[in-house]
Order: sequence, then structure tokens, then C-alpha cells
Amino acid sequence: MCHFLWNRMAYPAVLLLALHPASGSSVERSVTSILKRHCVACHGSEIQNASVRLDNLPTDFSRDRRAAETWHDVRDVLNRGEMPPPGATTLPPGERNVLVDWISEQLRKSDPPAAGRDGSTVMRRLNRAEYQNTMRDLLGLDVDYVKNLPPDEVSRDGFTNNGSALRMSALQLEHYLNAARSGLARAIVEGPAPPVFVHRAEATVIDKLRNVHWSNRLGRTGTFVARVPQFPDEGEFILRVKARAEIPAGAPYPRMHVAVGYRADTQTPSRTLAEVDVRGAEVREFEFRGRIEEFPLQSRTQSKYPGLLVWIRNVYTDGLPPPAGQKVSFEENGKTEQKMVWPEDPDFPAIVVESIEFRAPAYPSWPPPHHARLIPAAPEGRRAERRAAADSVRRLMRRAYRRPVGSADTQPVLRFFDKVRPAVDSFEEAMRETLAMVLVSPDFLYLVERTGNGDRPVSDHELASRLSYFLWSTMPDERLADLADRGRLSDKRILRQETARMLADPRSWAFVEQFSDQWLDLPGVHRIAVNPNYHPDFDLSLKEDMRKETQHFFATLLREDMSAMNFLRSDFSVLNERMARHYGIEGPRGGEFQRVSLAGSGRPGGLLTHASILLANSTGEDSHPVERGVWIRSALLGNPPSPPPPAVPNLESGGEDLALLPIRRQLELHQDSEACARCHRGIDPWGVALEEYDALGLRRETVLRRLGNREEVHAVDASAVLPDGREVDGAAALAAYLLESRESEFARAIVSKLFSYALGRSLVSRDGEQVDRLVARFRESGYRLGELCTIIVASDAFRRR
Amino acid sequence: MTRKSWHLSRRSFLYGSGVTLALPFLECMAANVDAPTPPRRFCAVYFPYGIVQRQPGSKAAEWNWFPRGSGRDYSFNRSLVPLESLRSELTVLGGLSHPRGRGMGGHDTADTWLTGAELKEGHLENSVSMDQAAAMHLGGRTRYRSLVLSSDGGIGEPTRSSTLSFGRNGQPVPAENRPRAVFDRLFGVDPRSVAAQRQSLDRSRSMLDLVLDHSKSVRSSLGRHDRVKLDEYLESVRQIERRVDRSQQWLEVPKPEVKATGLALDADDTTPAELIRTMYDLMYLAFQTDSTRVATYQIGNMNGATSIAGKFPQLLGLADNMHRMAHGARKNDAGAEPLGQWDLFLTQQFAYFLGRLRDTREGDGSLLDRTIVLYGSSNSQTHVNLNYPLVVAGGRNLGLGHGAFREYAEDVPLSNLFVTVLNRLGVPVEGFADSTGELPGLLA
Repeated sequence: MCHFLWNRMAYPAVLLLALHPASGSSVERSVTSILKRHCVACHGSEIQNASVRLDNLPTDFSRDRRAAETWHDVRDVLNRGEMPPPGATTLPPGERNVLVDWISEQLRKSDPPAAGRDGSTVMRRLNRAEYQNTMRDLLGLDVDYVKNLPPDEVSRDGFTNNGSALRMSALQLEHYLNAARSGLARAIVEGPAPPVFVHRAEATVIDKLRNVHWSNRLGRTGTFVARVPQFPDEGEFILRVKARAEIPAGAPYPRMHVAVGYRADTQTPSRTLAEVDVRGAEVREFEFRGRIEEFPLQSRTQSKYPGLLVWIRNVYTDGLPPPAGQKVSFEENGKTEQKMVWPEDPDFPAIVVESIEFRAPAYPSWPPPHHARLIPAAPEGRRAERRAAADSVRRLMRRAYRRPVGSADTQPVLRFFDKVRPAVDSFEEAMRETLAMVLVSPDFLYLVERTGNGDRPVSDHELASRLSYFLWSTMPDERLADLADRGRLSDKRILRQETARMLADPRSWAFVEQFSDQWLDLPGVHRIAVNPNYHPDFDLSLKEDMRKETQHFFATLLREDMSAMNFLRSDFSVLNERMARHYGIEGPRGGEFQRVSLAGSGRPGGLLTHASILLANSTGEDSHPVERGVWIRSALLGNPPSPPPPAVPNLESGGEDLALLPIRRQLELHQDSEACARCHRGIDPWGVALEEYDALGLRRETVLRRLGNREEVHAVDASAVLPDGREVDGAAALAAYLLESRESEFARAIVSKLFSYALGRSLVSRDGEQVDRLVARFRESGYRLGELCTIIVASDAFRRR
Repeated sequence: MTRKSWHLSRRSFLYGSGVTLALPFLECMAANVDAPTPPRRFCAVYFPYGIVQRQPGSKAAEWNWFPRGSGRDYSFNRSLVPLESLRSELTVLGGLSHPRGRGMGGHDTADTWLTGAELKEGHLENSVSMDQAAAMHLGGRTRYRSLVLSSDGGIGEPTRSSTLSFGRNGQPVPAENRPRAVFDRLFGVDPRSVAAQRQSLDRSRSMLDLVLDHSKSVRSSLGRHDRVKLDEYLESVRQIERRVDRSQQWLEVPKPEVKATGLALDADDTTPAELIRTMYDLMYLAFQTDSTRVATYQIGNMNGATSIAGKFPQLLGLADNMHRMAHGARKNDAGAEPLGQWDLFLTQQFAYFLGRLRDTREGDGSLLDRTIVLYGSSNSQTHVNLNYPLVVAGGRNLGLGHGAFREYAEDVPLSNLFVTVLNRLGVPVEGFADSTGELPGLLA
């Protein structure tokens, strides 16, 4: 096997490492020396065992791919301990590591995928989130455009907005075409205004299902249901709910959950419309909007349980299960009947529904604004139609392509209009089809920057797109487009103002969500299955609240322009009632997230002790120090460990009850083997320091181990020796250490991540100097997170291509 | 580096492009036109991270995936027992692997399971997968060329692919992961009239033509890297054009009527048993209705960091996620049972699929007799890209013979199996990837 790997090599002689030892760094000098002492005797100028010669093997990994592949093979045989062969002088582990690390580093540096290797920005496809938001803004309709799109490709550094990684395929493009057609079919209407149906109800429907507590009062139990007899097949609807709360003094707010669907015999398919706190004793009107076709609807021919149903429930819970109803007998017309009653609990926060009103379709005008924005009222005559088509195409195209358009752009689309128009019944139908063509063009689906020769500032329109996809994950708004049209956006002062405006705008939530998810891998909470045998009371929906805590924390640092060092340690977090209760902290009363002091909670704050991070890097039963260690190195220190090498040796612990051992002992066994230890010494201690926190992110004194029916309880041991020899004990000590000794590494990590996200590409070695400058300015700013966005927007890489 | 991919003989190429009106097999039978070629089908199902492999004689050996004994004289250990009643329909293969995969990262080989390519830092381009090579030949006669499924969906990333299938130039074919979308594509009925559908397809065709024309003119204004991206886009447009053409050919042929009753079409990553079974059901229905003759399904990918499938065993009440169970089974005997239970679960699902194919009559045999099914992984144990656990089933009317546990020397490339399978599928090839010939021991 070794022979196989070695036998297909060739060596053009350039840049000879071994022959020019003096020219390299100290690492390169040691590499040269090790090769000379251990390898060259059999793989040198005299003898070339297996036809491999190392003394003149080129070391320019990025230019000479063949040499790079040979080096790759060298690393693999070293990793597997196959070279030097038995009988030759043993290569001490330390020296092997120097060789392996040097090769890995060179490979890594030369690696970025073909396109964008030189650090240029690549034309990049809109990802799912960007496409969804852009279609919403473009068509003025908030519906789900991406439900059928395949998941986006993820770059090696964890981003889903990386131009090189994002691919196109026929399947993908077919979905874009379908989404464009169905979106336009809704946005462009035809015919007279449809009749409006209004349904009002004051009392809940009482159905035959006896184990449901039908009620207008929603306490520990109780469901309010309205049946809407007549409704259109599509279009916007408005649901108005008048309700008040009954809240015992100081108790949390009840939370109103509204769903829309229907009853199909035994099943009731439904979708959530809204969830909101009900805070006051006085009656308030809540207004919710939705698109009717986005909800499960029964087929019109199904008539057993006709009508659209609206469910209103109180989803606040104090953790106790709702009580079961009890059968009571009563006399009616001389017969004994039975009914169910539910116990009252006056101490439980309740909602009282006074009335509801359902109105559909709810267009503010006819044709609705989204229609009027796309095309004019049907013109009379073919020539007028052609003019209207040209005008509509140009207007949509300018927004969709995010730049001025000329006749070269509009001509092909108008030719298509000319072809389609005679074949269909109406101008509107022809326009739906015509505008769909704009929405499958590469100028829309990709962020395209036309090339000039060499380095140039991006145009104002390109800058507007870069800015809006960075901070809003969507297309530029009218103001940005207007500034670009007037050539004003590239003015540094205006660029700064616009960045501030965009960060303050609610649309920057898209940035918060996208970037924090991708940087910190928050969706990881959904990859973990929480084991109910270990955590019987865990409510799976809390996972999403955990993710939100971290997102809201990020948003607070961003919008209040606070120091990013809060990520390492902070005296507050941002919690809702459920998360606060999870942590055992007093304060929030409702479902909305708010800033909460951590004083007295025993938690050091910062990302290290966010439940999202701790759960995503757990087994679902217990902590996972290795995963947590890898996360700290990747997300906070910008130094992800290499993936395990191929064919790592088998690990035989000998003992059968490994699972019962304390984590420290398990990890020690792991490190008995040098092949494992050399990496794990740099990974495990980071995670061990978080051992005071269990899989759900809760503090603990003891750790439970189970194997079959056996159980052992160990005291928590969170003391760890970090790779630089520093001892820390627990999360607070780790946070203190990071702030004191790793501040600049963390600053560089977050700058690199944010920079990479802003540019939509991986960073390459030649970005190094620019990153240094950004880090320096970030430090001068007091590490303020909002300011960092401004610094990045002002950077050369962001404004030039 | 010039790398040979699969080679078509000239004869087979002419055969493949000499297209007659494409009607599904069953329709041809009904129409009583020229004697139709009965279908030849291929299906591949992959699971990640490998299987249990403990010392023979140890207590844990009862969970070993590979059988005891050899040749026709072998017995299953616990995790393959569900295949007992299908013994005469399948062969268990031992010892095989892709030589180029052996030096690749421990979790990098799902991408190359069906391709035999080599992916390394700096060289992450794959080559055509054998199912797609088969689809290029078998796909002309069905409504869909192939059905590509995975639990994660999409394409993932190089070395952590979430699809098993790669096109002619090695570009990944995105996998569908939502059963309902697959069902709708295969059997969903378009409420519009045939004339209206034809009109809509015509419009798609001319729209795509114009998009293509115009985009080509844009190309010259782009930089080198951007052209690569645009070319990918243009190729996608051309592919849809071909699909549109195909849909037009099939417009008059009604889709098979299949009721969704009993199918868990809303199964997702929170209900793994339902999801995996439904994917098998959909492949079965696609074959039974001759909607396609090629299908692949990746049950999980090896991206521990992002795969939504990693937690499947835990959701089924087993001890841990896929990756950690695989590590546990390598560590010591005690770790064997948890992974063994997962191996067993996967075998049960697979046996269910084979059973359905076997129990469905087709001509003078069963559906299985004209379907070659490949099942297995590209890791034997986690991180070990050798000795892939593999089962080849079905295809008895295509020339395969079964009933044995065949072990091969470590230097035999897995691509030899692909050569043998492709030839039995009526795709005459001399070689595939790094093959050195046919694989002996599989023919009747």
C-alpha cells in the first residue's frame, strides 16, 4: 500500500528546500535538518526508494500541485508511522510532529478552492436567506419562496454565503423558475376585486371532542376555536383578536399562541400564525396578518368538517403538566349525562378571549399595491401594451439586477414578451411570464461584479449590494439605490452614515441571525438529540429559545455598540421568561427577550456559558469536552484543530467500563497514544474547563455516568492545564484567562470571521496584512462591535475588487 | 494529471444515442409495439462510519457485521440476520475498497464511494459516479433519468458530500431529502390540461433559450473565476432545457396513479425510522412504475459537524450519535453492542426494501431479479477506508448469481465490481475509474 502511494511522482526541480536551508524560517530549517537526517538517505540524490526523492522536491505548494500531492503522501505515511521503516533510525515523535505540522500548514495555505484562490471576490449566488428576503422585497409579498430549495453549501470555515462554495444545479434553477412563477402569479392579479369575507365570533366553538377544554378563558387548560365558514383560496387575511390577561401579582405574562388550519377527520393540520405576550388586564386588540395559501387548507370537496379553523391557546407554562379533565355526571331531561370539567387555577396567568374577527382577502386597494408596483392597469391596444411592458420590465430589472439597465438588458426579455403575448389571454398573464425571465437571470440570482482590468474600486451600485447583503441579507432599499444612482455612496462620510442607518434598522436582524448562526454554529442545537432518560423534563422547543438568547445577545452588543469582549465574559445576558427559568434567574416575565443581569447567578456570562453553545457541543446526555474544545478553538481562537488523520491507530482501553470513568480519566486514556495525544492535548483542556455545565447548560456539582444498569456519580472536576501550561479551574477562570492572555487572538478571530462573511469569501494569506490593520483599528475603538462593521465597510477589500 | 474515467465502447455509444420514442416499459407492453427491452435497474444505498468489527472469538464478535465462514458456507452474525430469508438473492462482499480512497481522510470517502476518485487538499474535483454512468444509458426510456436521495439533501461540500451521485464531469447532483417533494415529482398530477401544459413547456423552452443567449453575451465581461461560476449556471440552464424537452415527450403519457396512503410523506429528520423507510418506499414505487431505473440514497453523510442524520440512532433510543457509536465500537468490546444495534436497524430497513422488490412480480421473475442493489459504506470502522462492508443483491435475471460471502484480496479495486455491474446492466464498459478488470465470483 505504501508502495502504491509512492509510485506516481515526478519532480520538476525548482525551489529546492533541502538545498537552500539558510533561506527559510527557523521551522523550515528544522524541517530541512530532519529530512536530511531521517529521509534523504533512501529518498535523495543517490537512492530513490519507491522512486521518491525528497531533497529536490519543490515546496511551492500552490504552484506545483504534483509536488504538493507528494508532500501530502509523505504526511500520510508519517502519520501512520509507516516511515521511517522498521530497522531505520526511529524518528522521535517531536520531530515527526514538526514535519507533519509543516506539511499540513503548507497544504492548508495553498488549499482554498480553485475559484477565488487569489482572494478575489467571486460572483456569488444568493443563498436561501438572501433569496427569500430579496424576493420578498422585490415582489412586496412575504411568502415562503425557499421551501423547495435544497440546502446551501457550507464553506470549510462554516459560512453559507461563500461564493466559491455556493453552487448552481438544474434542480436549483428549476426551483428558482417555479418560485418566480408562483410568486408572480400571486403578486400580479387579474379581474375585479374579489368578494371580502368577514367572520366574527365571541364564544369559542364547542366541538364533540370531549377531552378538549373548549373555553374563552385560557389558563392551565383551555382552547379557543373559531370556525370560519367562508374564505377565499388565496390572498392576505387579517385576524383581529380582542383579549385581556388575568395575571396574579408579579406572575409571568400568559402567552397567546394563534394557529390556522382545518380539521381533517381525526387530524387537525395547522400552522402557527403568531405568538405574543398578553400583558394587561384591560382588553386589547391584537392584529395578525398572513397569506391564506401559506396555511394548511382542506380541499373544497371535503365536507365532513368544513371551514377554516383558528386556534388560540395559552402556551405559558410553569413546567407542571396540565391537569386532566374529570368526568362528572349531571341530570338533563331526566337522563343522566356526563361531561368533562377542568379544575380552575386562579394562581395561573390566564388569557380571556373577548372576540375575534377574520377578514379575507384583506387588500388595502384593488389592484393591491404589490401589483401596482410591478405593472400598470391593463393598457388598451398592442402598442400601449408593448410600451407598458417595456416600462415594467425596466423598472423591475433595475431593482432585481441592483444596477442601472440598458436596452441590451431589456431587449431579450421584451422579445420574450412579444413571443408570449399572442399565446395568452391577458396582458397580466404575459407579464407574469415575462417578469419570471428576469428572476431566473444570472444578474438577479448572483451578485455580479463586471470585471475591469486589475484592481479597481467597486462601482457605487456594487457597493450598495455589498452593503445591503452584508448588513441586511437582502437587496438595497430605495435610499441606497438612489445614493448609488447619484454616485454618492462611495463618499466615505456617506458610507459611514449609511452603515449606521442600516445597523439601526430592524432589517439588520437578518445579519444578526445569519452571522451569529454561521460563526457560532448555533443550528448545532438541532443536531443534538437530548436524551429523555437523562433529561426527562426538557422541552424540545427550548432549543430555539437557546439559539435566540445568543442571537439577542449578539444584537445587543451590535446595536448598543458595546465591547466584543462581552462575548468572553459579560455581566448580563438577554433572556426571556423561559430561558431565565431554565437558568434559575429572576426577571423576565414574558416571551420577549430582554437584558438581564447575571449578578448572583454564578454564571460568568459570555458565550462560554450560553446554553446554545453548551448543548450544541454535548452528547445530548452529557457534556462533550472534546467538541467544546474544538468549538472554542474554532470560534473564539480562530485556530481550528486539524481533522483526525486517516487510519488513526485503534484505541484499546482494555477496561470494559470506560463509560463509567470520570471524564478526566477517559481523556487520559485517549492521550496514552501519542498519535491521539499530540492533537488532543491542544483540544481537550479547553472543554474540560466547562465541565461545571451539563449538556443543557446548567451548573452542576456532580456528574452521572451510566453503563447498562450501572451508575456512578463523580464530583465535577473542571481543572485543566491549557496548552501554554496555564492551569484554570472552571468557566469563570477560563473566561478570565481568555480576556487576560488571549484577547488579541480572539479579536483577530472575530475580525477574520466578520471580514470573511462581509466579503462572501474565504480569507487567504495575502489578506493577512489587511486583517492586521483591521484588528488594530478594532482595538483602538475599544473593541466595539458596531464600530467593527463600520471599520470593515471602510476597508480596501470591501470597497475594491 | 490525466485520470481515466469510465470508457464507453463505440458500439455502446451509438446504442445509447439511437433514441426511439421513449415510452415506459409497461406502456409499451400495453400498446403492444415492438418487443420492448425489459428494464434493467440499479440502486445504491449508503450508510456512514462503518460497522462493528471485533476480534473473532471475543464476546463482542456476535455483533460483527461480516459473516462467519466463507463462500456458500457462511452464517450471519446478529446484525445481518434480517437478510437470512434473502440469502439466495444476495452476496456479501469483503475486502474491497477504492485504492485511491485509502490515503484520503477518514471521513472523506462518502463522496467517492460510487466514483473511485481521489479527493485531496487542492484537488477536490470528483468524477462521474457509476449510477450516473448507468443513468446515461438506462435513463432514456423513463420519465426521470435517476432519483437521487439523501437524508441531508443538497450536495454538502467536497469530502463531506450529502449526495452519492456525480454527473459526467464530476459535478455533484443535488439530492432530494423531503419525501413529499419526491412523491409529487414522481406521481403528482398537474391539474392543467395537456394543451396548457404543453404551452407552458414551450414558453419555458423559449425563455430558457433567450436566457442562455443573453447570458453567453454577459460572459465576456466577467473575470476568469466568475466565468467558471457562469458556466455552471449555463450548464444548469441547458440541463433544464433537456428536462423540458423530456417532459414534452412524456406529456401524453399519464403519470402512474399512486396513492399516498400508507406513505409517511411528512417524515423528516426527527422521525428517522419513518424517513428511511419512506425513502425506500419511494425508490420501490419509482422502480415498480418504471418512473426511473436508477436510484441512490445516502442515509447519512460523514459530516459530523453539520449532518442532520448523526442523531438518528439516539432518536431511536440507541446509545449515541452515529459517529460516536462508531468510535465506541472501535475502542473496546463494550462499544460493539450499541453500534451493532444500529447496524441491525439499518439491515432491517434494507431487508424490508429487498423483500418488497422480491415479492413484486415482473415478467417471469421478480422486480428484484432485474434490479441490482448495492448496499454498504466506505468505512469499515470509522476512519478506516479499507474493507468496505458491502452487499450486492438482485439482478439474477441480469446474470448475477448469489448465495455466498465473497472475500477479496486487499489490492482488488472496488471499481472492478462497478465494471461487472455496469456490464450486467447493459452498459458495456471496459473499465471504470481505476478498475483492473471484472470482479470474479458474482456471475451465475
